[in-house]
Amino acid sequence: MGFLLEVFRDALSALSGGLGGDLGSVVWLTSWIAFVATGISVLIGVPLGTTLGLSEFRGKRATTVLVNTGMGLPPVLAGLVLLLLLWRGGPFGAWGILFTPAAMVLAQAMLAIPIAVGLTASAISGLPLAAKEQLAAFQLSPWNRGAVAVREVWPAVGGAVAAAFGRVISEVGAVLIVGGNIRGETRVLTTAIVQETRQAQFGQALAFGFVLLGMALVVNAGITWLQFKDAAR
Amino acid sequence: MNPVLELDIRFPPSEPRVEVDGFRLAEAEKLVLFGPNGAGKSTLLRVLAGIIHEAEVPAAAYLPQAPWMFRGTAGQNLDFGLSADGRVLARAVAADLGVNDLGLRARQLSGGEAQRVAIARVLARGEEVVLLDEPLAAVDLRDRAEVAGIIRRRLDGRAAVIVTHDRDDAAILGDAMAVMLDGRIVQRGPVADVFAQPVDEAVADVVGVANVLVGDAAEVDGSLVSVDAGDLRVWGLGDAPTGGSARAMFGGETVTILPAGSAVGSARNSWTGRIRDVRRLGRLLEVVIDVGHPIVAIVTPGAADALDMSPGAEVVVSVKATAVRVVGGD
Repeated sequence: MGFLLEVFRDALSALSGGLGGDLGSVVWLTSWIAFVATGISVLIGVPLGTTLGLSEFRGKRATTVLVNTGMGLPPVLAGLVLLLLLWRGGPFGAWGILFTPAAMVLAQAMLAIPIAVGLTASAISGLPLAAKEQLAAFQLSPWNRGAVAVREVWPAVGGAVAAAFGRVISEVGAVLIVGGNIRGETRVLTTAIVQETRQAQFGQALAFGFVLLGMALVVNAGITWLQFKDAAR
Repeated sequence: MNPVLELDIRFPPSEPRVEVDGFRLAEAEKLVLFGPNGAGKSTLLRVLAGIIHEAEVPAAAYLPQAPWMFRGTAGQNLDFGLSADGRVLARAVAADLGVNDLGLRARQLSGGEAQRVAIARVLARGEEVVLLDEPLAAVDLRDRAEVAGIIRRRLDGRAAVIVTHDRDDAAILGDAMAVMLDGRIVQRGPVADVFAQPVDEAVADVVGVANVLVGDAAEVDGSLVSVDAGDLRVWGLGDAPTGGSARAMFGGETVTILPAGSAVGSARNSWTGRIRDVRRLGRLLEVVIDVGHPIVAIVTPGAADALDMSPGAEVVVSVKATAVRVVGGD
């Protein structure tokens, strides 16, 4: 118990001391990478998931299996594939974004898009038959039809956004590979925790963990508040 | 007149549940699809709406059986799928139907209110063909005739297929009626003819036998209105503006046949006529009496024995005014 208490005390003092000046840049980078990656995954994933949920076509089941597999894509594998694609001499090596935040955004979006697609599609598919039939009767443009459907299952789509964000902010394998955990450049909360843990700076690592948890809490509280506010409508 | 809709329907393709060859809908025709639950009425309507079974169908305004209210206000739900002009029209129809507070959450509307919103929305669409699946199912009994009358007026000039299993609704909404049994149309013709002369016992069982007299509303006496159909004056319950066209409806089972010369007491509707035809309808008899207009009566064989029912025999026919329903409009 003495050990854990000591770690805990170290974590608190690290938090109050600003984590050696690193905290600001790490939190800032973590935040904007997570928000941009979540934003991209929502912009791409929600329309795709809506289309998948509303349409009937040959191969819908197979597509759903692929998407669901994508939801469980191992981050280190995603990171490795992206690394190969972005490596000097690789197909997108000329972009020169490997070991930059841009590559980290790409990696996280790759992981979060299938979650946004899969959870949105499942929410839309779950619409009652009467709702789907009424939606078809409106004869709206595909875009408007999708918008009405998403609005109808908005709390579930909000859940999809929260899940995508959760995946993005907690992910470490892929950002470590394509970002490189360069101090002041590509170090985010999760890779910082890995780094500090490796160096047995447990208090420091735990302090980063608290911050990470706090961020997830704030974002999810916001989404949940929106869901509840709208639930009665 | 060219049909606005003509097709063969087999659905599902492999195992015919609904099978209708040469389904036709004439310009501005109002066709009622009548039949028991599970006869395939809604399925046929879905095919016509293009919702299932990709048949080549013209664009149609479609009211599903269970209209769904989406998140948002009644007003927002009223607007779905409508042009700017359509939205103005939808508000006018909604007001006719008594839907006034469009700021309410659509989910909080009662079934009847939600159905009115859905009716206003579908009637405000621009398509030439309108498909209504049980439009009055959720409407209170006492408001049904009024709502049906509004629907009838708003459908003016357009072709419509209307699913119902209610006799009164069918008589108000339809010009023609198709009776469906087990996925097939077993009889089709003018509403009054189908009600008065079902082709067989199965159809008679489903539609019941009813008289529909079309004429002009003549007099009002308290809650009673009279309709002059040719030389025949029929009194019934309802409201129809005098001078305007009106329909009087009553079931064949409400008609009493008495020996010629009988005093009929307080019955306002009693006419002398001659038996034209007697047909067996299962265990009952269907008797057609010509009183200047054919009236169909359903009687038990016992009642028939007490009377001379041979064709040509003179009888008195009586119907209580409270058993007759009068509705205004064409």
